[in-house]
Amino acid sequence: MTLAIHDYRLPRLLHPVAWWAWAIGLAMAANRTTNPLLLALIAVVAAYVVAARRELGAASPFGAFLRLGLLAITLRVVFQVLLGGGTPGRTVLFTLPEIPLPSGSSGVRLGGPVTLEGVLAAAYEGARLAAVLACIGAANTLASPRRLLRYVPATLYEVGTALVVALTYAPQLVDDARRVRVARRLRGHGGRGIRELARLAVPVLDSALERSLNLAASMESRGYGRSVHRDARSRRQATALTLAGLSGVIAGVYGLLDGSPAPLLGLPLLIVGSVAATASLAVGARRDPRSRYRPDPWATPEWLVLGCGAAAGVLVLIAAQRGVPGMVVQTSPAQWPILPWLPALGVLLALVPAWLSPLPPLRAIGPLGGLQGGLQDVGATS
Amino acid sequence: MTTPGVPNRPVLAVRWRAAATLAATSLVGLVAFLWPFLAQPGSGLSHNADAPWLFVLLIALLAALVVAELSDGGLDAKTVAVLGVLAAAGGALRVLGAGTAGLEPMFFLLVVAGRVLGRGVGFVLGALAVLVGAFLTGGVGPWAPFQMIAAGWVGFGAGCLPRAGGRTERAILAGYGLVVGLIFGLLMNLWFWPFLASGAPAGMGFVPGDAVSANLSRYGTFYLATSLGWDLPRGVLTAVLVMVAGRPVLASLRRGTRRAAFGASGTFVEGHGTGRG
Repeated sequence: MTLAIHDYRLPRLLHPVAWWAWAIGLAMAANRTTNPLLLALIAVVAAYVVAARRELGAASPFGAFLRLGLLAITLRVVFQVLLGGGTPGRTVLFTLPEIPLPSGSSGVRLGGPVTLEGVLAAAYEGARLAAVLACIGAANTLASPRRLLRYVPATLYEVGTALVVALTYAPQLVDDARRVRVARRLRGHGGRGIRELARLAVPVLDSALERSLNLAASMESRGYGRSVHRDARSRRQATALTLAGLSGVIAGVYGLLDGSPAPLLGLPLLIVGSVAATASLAVGARRDPRSRYRPDPWATPEWLVLGCGAAAGVLVLIAAQRGVPGMVVQTSPAQWPILPWLPALGVLLALVPAWLSPLPPLRAIGPLGGLQGGLQDVGATS
Repeated sequence: MTTPGVPNRPVLAVRWRAAATLAATSLVGLVAFLWPFLAQPGSGLSHNADAPWLFVLLIALLAALVVAELSDGGLDAKTVAVLGVLAAAGGALRVLGAGTAGLEPMFFLLVVAGRVLGRGVGFVLGALAVLVGAFLTGGVGPWAPFQMIAAGWVGFGAGCLPRAGGRTERAILAGYGLVVGLIFGLLMNLWFWPFLASGAPAGMGFVPGDAVSANLSRYGTFYLATSLGWDLPRGVLTAVLVMVAGRPVLASLRRGTRRAAFGASGTFVEGHGTGRG
């Protein structure tokens, strides 16, 4: 039975952190290139994995993120066409009537010639942002950020609880508002506008606060109010780590902003500081006696998914560092983009989880209600 | 005490460690927003496509750190429940606001609640309300950490406003809401402005390594051309809401906090039992 969780054929929800790490790796890859072919490949990979491993019936914000990405491209191109841009170009596609602006408006122009180079540069820049957004949308769809909430360190336990309370009560608040509104309508107080909103706010807020006190009472009666004593030593350690980490972060940021001092000061200090700050969250949580209800396992499939995402990010990063041709497509003069093979291979690695990761349970049961795939095999081997 | 019903002790006291963390985070947060103007021409940041993403991660970490320090040991069940319910209201208002072209009624709640519950709760509430809104709409994107910090500042600032009562208080809060609506937009544009880079309209884009004044003037043009139209209505909406609905909502919140009796601790007295259990 212990072996079964290592088998990717056992239907279960993958650890949310694994999906987010996979998506961040892919997003890192997208951020390193402006090649539209590579960016399209990244978006397609994300979309395919989402289509193959999305839990049925769960909310899917992937479409919304894709639309946001398209909006980014469109806005970028429209701005470029209307207002011109920083990219010089000679190939004029068409010329818009130019509206003369008063002098001294610092280089802003309205209308004028629209160049192929400018439009291409704007579209590529927009496509890069769109691809990153597609990766983040994939992470949101494959592992709902609500599931990540379970993995906040215990130092954030109270705030995490408040967040869970908020997410539970938000739909009820909307219901409350609707009910109060209907009641007011029935009494002939219809109407819209800010004054009506204000009248709505008080009863809704009153009942919400009332409910929160009831909730607090029930939480206390179930033992939530028990204070968790953290020993003085771990608290001192956490404080020291926090302060050291913050100092490191500040010094690192200063080093990054300032051009002159030794390169030692910048990024390394920032990373050390961030690690110390993260460690302070963990140290404060170390003595936490609370146990976790039904924790998600972290097994081979999680490592595989994480590895695939990281491999995609690292391969593209290496290609960008080495200046592999095709990573940045030349726009002036405009060139036909080519697909560089090494980064493309890296991105395709991120497609592997579409097959070699466990199916989500509902998807495994399938619309017909019958078990698909190799569940029977797993049962036989474990 | 000019306003009855305001608890003498803040619901969530800001201790020195939390204050230090908050100060450091605010500093780094300001840099994260303003780095296009601060980066020296030869620095590692000014020619780096990763710089905005670096700050996204950094701000997410620091926001977690501040919230952890602020809530360290200070959140009892009542505070958690009230924070949760108010964050739910904020998140719901945010979702509502997304449907009405960026008019965000959430700021009204942040200003009023920060005022009543104090700056500690104000900061945590601002950050949580943004996060709840993001969870409800199903999209936690790279903008979320920046919005969390900025909304936290809004709540924190409301808790720091000078004490006043009655009409003066509402006027102060309304003025604060107006200013905050504008500044929030001014800062929030900055997180994606460097992304536009060469794709931005001529004379409005971030030119890495250029003089600060030149970049500032380009940003000013960008702000006037694209953002002011959104930010001004948001600030005005907050101010109008405070003037129209401020009194009953403030009263309702104060009633709630008085009934919750934050900070009151029960005492056990021996020898007064009736013996009936």
